[in-house]
Amino acid sequence: MKQLIKGNEAIVKSAILAGCRAFYGYPITPASEIAEAAALYLPRAGGVFLQAESEVAAINMLYGAAAAGVRALTASSGPGISLMQEGISYLAGAELPCVIADIMRGGPGLGNIAPEQGDYNQVVKGGGHGNYRTLVLAPDSVQEMADLTRLAFDLADEYRNPVVVLADGYTGQMMEPVEFPAAAMLPRRPAWAVDGTAATRRNLITSIYLEPDQLEAHVRKLETKYRRAEQQAVRFESHRTEDAEIVLVGYGIVARILKAVVEQARAQGLAVGLLRPITLYPFPAAELRRLSRQALAFLVVEMSTGQMVEDVRLALEGRRPVEFYGRCGGNVPSAEEILRWVRERADHYWPAFAPEEMADA
Amino acid sequence: MATTTVEAVPVTMANLKGRVDPDWCPGCGDFGVLAAYQKALVELRIQPHQVVTISGIGCSSNLPGFIHTYGMHTLHGRSLAVATGVKLANHHLHVVVTGGDGDGFGIGGNHFVHTMRRNVDLLYIVMDNQIYGLTTGQTSPTSRVGMKTKSMPFGNIEEPVNPMALALAAGATFVARGISSEQKHLTELLKQGLMHKGFAFVDVFSPCVTYNHDNTYQWFRPRVKKLEDDPGYDPSNWYAAMEKAQMWGEEIPIGRFFQRTGLPSLHGNEPILADDVPLAHRDPRIAPDLARQFVEELM
Ligand SMILES: Cc1ncc(C[n+]2csc(CCOP(=O)(O)OP(=O)(O)O)c2C)c(N)n1
Ligand code: SF4
Repeated sequence: MKQLIKGNEAIVKSAILAGCRAFYGYPITPASEIAEAAALYLPRAGGVFLQAESEVAAINMLYGAAAAGVRALTASSGPGISLMQEGISYLAGAELPCVIADIMRGGPGLGNIAPEQGDYNQVVKGGGHGNYRTLVLAPDSVQEMADLTRLAFDLADEYRNPVVVLADGYTGQMMEPVEFPAAAMLPRRPAWAVDGTAATRRNLITSIYLEPDQLEAHVRKLETKYRRAEQQAVRFESHRTEDAEIVLVGYGIVARILKAVVEQARAQGLAVGLLRPITLYPFPAAELRRLSRQALAFLVVEMSTGQMVEDVRLALEGRRPVEFYGRCGGNVPSAEEILRWVRERADHYWPAFAPEEMADA
Repeated sequence: MATTTVEAVPVTMANLKGRVDPDWCPGCGDFGVLAAYQKALVELRIQPHQVVTISGIGCSSNLPGFIHTYGMHTLHGRSLAVATGVKLANHHLHVVVTGGDGDGFGIGGNHFVHTMRRNVDLLYIVMDNQIYGLTTGQTSPTSRVGMKTKSMPFGNIEEPVNPMALALAAGATFVARGISSEQKHLTELLKQGLMHKGFAFVDVFSPCVTYNHDNTYQWFRPRVKKLEDDPGYDPSNWYAAMEKAQMWGEEIPIGRFFQRTGLPSLHGNEPILADDVPLAHRDPRIAPDLARQFVEELM
């Protein structure tokens, strides 16, 4: 049965069905509905909700819940995620799973509460200290808000690492029909947790390794997990890339607009396709390189001044030109303006191949 | 607080109006706090350029935009830390910090305690509405047990913070409480706070008419009792203040709970500022000899 709900609410319902039994968070627009939905639904599922005094407290409450073996969720937006970075580094260092939803708003500073994608760097590159990564999932629909939240809990457990669901204010607020799985899931009790049973009495959760060799070994172990994720956890969606000469790259809500751009460009005779990274870390670098054998240029669109575009450039290693179009401040680019830009770039690279109407445009 | 110089232009309510009009909901308690703050500046004849109004984030924290003084709109919960930086950079400024109960006692709770402990010479006005206004109605650290909000749909299960007791315990040297509807009384408290040399805390009941339907003007009116009406009340008695701070319910004291004078403030204790020249107005150059000394000296 499909249900028409907001993206933010879908995250909570999906989390509960995925066995999440603790939510700690602090209100912030445009993520507050996640906390509010958690306050409403979690107690009914036998879980706890607590409104923390700050995001610093919230992420450390997650640290505690995760260490005790409970699936836990928090949600915030830009400024709140910035405050959580220290805790995220500790969670990764102590190899604890948890899920963090970041419903991005405009920045820097207080910025505004309109949708943006300016948190890419702080979330995907890890705004905290040390050699760690967070796995990052980028939904582009309310259905994916649900599906990727569920996946996030599984990946968090599998890799014993924080996983971030990175969406924007638009996807959080919009309403779409969602299909939830018929059955709820019961996560296994982790063997490493401090869960008050005799069997786990030797378990120690820590991120301190005073001896350089010990710390290096620990960091190498984390690194091995990340390499494994890069091999096994990459997800992306390809849309009409088979014969694309121009590949658009965008994630989240931007990708939805880019799909419309692809159709319109194709109607005008331009061989355009779309690559939508679903995992931002691990990044679909191999797929981009594969596409570079046939595509002649990569056009990246973000609701930022250009953050993910750096990963596209790194992936392509100069094989093909990479160009960027961005809007920020809470402005969502329209399909028309992107199409204009795409045609302009196409004209720049292949004046001879430009469609007829370009000549008089 | 800092010394007040003779006014260059008359300070009036009209010329203390900010560049933007308040965006508060009609009837919001914060209007009364802004008006009382402006009146206090007028009555003390403090020039706009002698004051910096610093806030965090919240409906109440939008206040610096609505008043013609220097203004800073800073991070959620961090205004007191920013204010400490401003005060040490230019201690001749009157530093006034404004914000909400969430901003000050929740996310800013640790700065609240430590800024009082340091006795930083500033006036801290909290518009205490027992709710999160700007984020549209979640529980705040001063929300009462049982209160239903968007984030506590089944009622708050946590004991609220007691700002008066906390301030007294943390070492604030001026502790008062007002209500936005009692303009004369509130203006008087803010004037005392502005003139106090040290950390002055004024908690103001400032009803959120949109999201708090429990703690309304009607709820407060019969309950608030002015300490000033009790001739026997001695605001220099910390224990008496602590006792008053415990009262809530049928009778809620407002007024000046506590004041201790004669204690040095943070900048007063700072040896570098003994010559009374603000850091911001000093010649930043250092003598070449001294520079060489630093470089050559070993720790
Ligand atoms: C780090 C961070 N977290 C959350 C927010 C969202 N936020 C803005 S104001 C506010 C609380 C508002 O309540 P209060 O401080 O009591 O002020 P009021 O609006 O009631 O005057 C919150 C949670 C933010 N701006 N920054
Ligand atoms: S929401 Fe409440 S606190 Fe904010 S302006 Fe309106 S009445 Fe005032």
